[in-house]
Amino acid sequence: MLKLSNVTKRFGALIAVNNLSFEVSQGQVFGIAGPNGAGKSTVYNLITGFYDFEGSIRFDGKEISGMKPHQIAQLGISRTFQIPQTFPSLTVEQSLEVGNRFGNRAKHDARRIERIIDFVELQSERHEFTGTLNLLGKKKLMIGAALATDPKILMLDEPMAGSNAHEIKALMELIQRMNQELGITIIIIEHFMKVLTELTETLLIIETGTEICCGDPEVVTSDPRVIECYLGGDDD
Amino acid sequence: MFNEDTILLLYEITDVIIAGLSNGSVYALMAIGMTLVYGVTKAFNFAYGDFFNMGGYFAWILIVGLGLQFGGYITVLIIVLPLLFLVGYGLEKFMVAPLRKRADWENRVMMLTLGLALFLSNLYMVLFGTKLKSLPPIMDGILEIGQIVFSYQDIMIFVLSLGGILTFGWLLNNTRTGMAVRAVAQNPEGAKIVGINIKRIFASTFAISTVMVGFGGILLSQKLFINPTSGGSIMVKAWVVTAFGGMGSIRGGLYAAFIIGMMEAFVGWIFGMSYTIIALFVLLLATLVIRPQGLMGKGA
Repeated sequence: MLKLSNVTKRFGALIAVNNLSFEVSQGQVFGIAGPNGAGKSTVYNLITGFYDFEGSIRFDGKEISGMKPHQIAQLGISRTFQIPQTFPSLTVEQSLEVGNRFGNRAKHDARRIERIIDFVELQSERHEFTGTLNLLGKKKLMIGAALATDPKILMLDEPMAGSNAHEIKALMELIQRMNQELGITIIIIEHFMKVLTELTETLLIIETGTEICCGDPEVVTSDPRVIECYLGGDDD
Repeated sequence: MFNEDTILLLYEITDVIIAGLSNGSVYALMAIGMTLVYGVTKAFNFAYGDFFNMGGYFAWILIVGLGLQFGGYITVLIIVLPLLFLVGYGLEKFMVAPLRKRADWENRVMMLTLGLALFLSNLYMVLFGTKLKSLPPIMDGILEIGQIVFSYQDIMIFVLSLGGILTFGWLLNNTRTGMAVRAVAQNPEGAKIVGINIKRIFASTFAISTVMVGFGGILLSQKLFINPTSGGSIMVKAWVVTAFGGMGSIRGGLYAAFIIGMMEAFVGWIFGMSYTIIALFVLLLATLVIRPQGLMGKGA
């Protein structure tokens, strides 16, 4: 469904992503982990058209390199950010309407917005301005706005960051429901290994933009190279 | 109950209030256009006042130059407003947008629009001469209600400006493009990932802003003259209104416009018109010292 082949991104002399290749299959929950500065978010920025790069990224067989972020969103690739990117002076309902009007479907569908509000459980906050929501509310909204674009792939960037145990549980359930009930392919960047081992079917570990290993999460997390680079002396 | 002098004074005050409302409504158009561009694109357009004059000159070409008979100002608006839209859209798309790719694009846009302001004012002088031009009133005559006299021109300027502002507000709140404009103003990155083409929104915003200030030019040039070199002072006035209201705040710009319109009218009445510019700068200084973020701006 999504295939990266020999993708490299340079910022001047710095190589942020180095000859990276991986493939995400339809319906999969795919995890990406690595220490801070490993290039995880850069990979997202490459897939979603925020940066240009060397190599190839194909989505449903179509080359998407060179496409603009809004064009990629309209193809059905949506994402969230570690810091929730909301529209503070729009209400929850209006924010979802933006995604609904401009995303993959690009048409207003009030019933779909209703279903998304129910799905992300923001019924009681629907008329509140998004700037007033708490962290969990903002995260749910960001996921809801991404769902409103009718994505085939949803890429979550550290969705658990700053969340307490209760919030993590709620977000994990939401991610599982999106994958199982809505059939959306999920890619998730996360630091919490427990979240990744519970949610994902395939886990990719990268360091300084290079693949360390990729495969079954249980196997990957016990790999000595991963323990050394990621779980070793680093607090991350 | 009141003696004759008091009644005369009240009539004069009513006249001043009407003039203040009429000018204030045009300032509101100008301030909303300016704050919209800054709020959405984060660019400051130093040629803004010259697009005010462009509106005036376009209207002058049609009404005076070509002797337009049919439809009067309605025809002018139907022809000129789309032209201004195209000019604004083209300016952003072909001149401002290429600069955005640079790290210091804000400074480059500032230099570009400063240069454009010089170019336009000189172009106006070449094309129309250095003499001031005037436009006929949109409607002649006066409306008398008892002893109070309203000029139809003031009423029409107020009604059309308010109509322009309300139309803009409706479009912003009820159309797909309006929704995108609000989303981009609040979070450009978030807007991109939900599928909004922010380059198109930037260009549309410049276009709408050019329409608003040019529309203001068509309306106010009937009361003032069209002066090829007045773009700078008009831009400063629009900026003072915008800064007083709060950069990026449409509602703030609206309140500020009517407050400044009234202030000018009263200062002009009490001290003379030459003092209005002094009052304007006193207000600007006071704003910068007491409340730098303006009436409704969010501040740094």
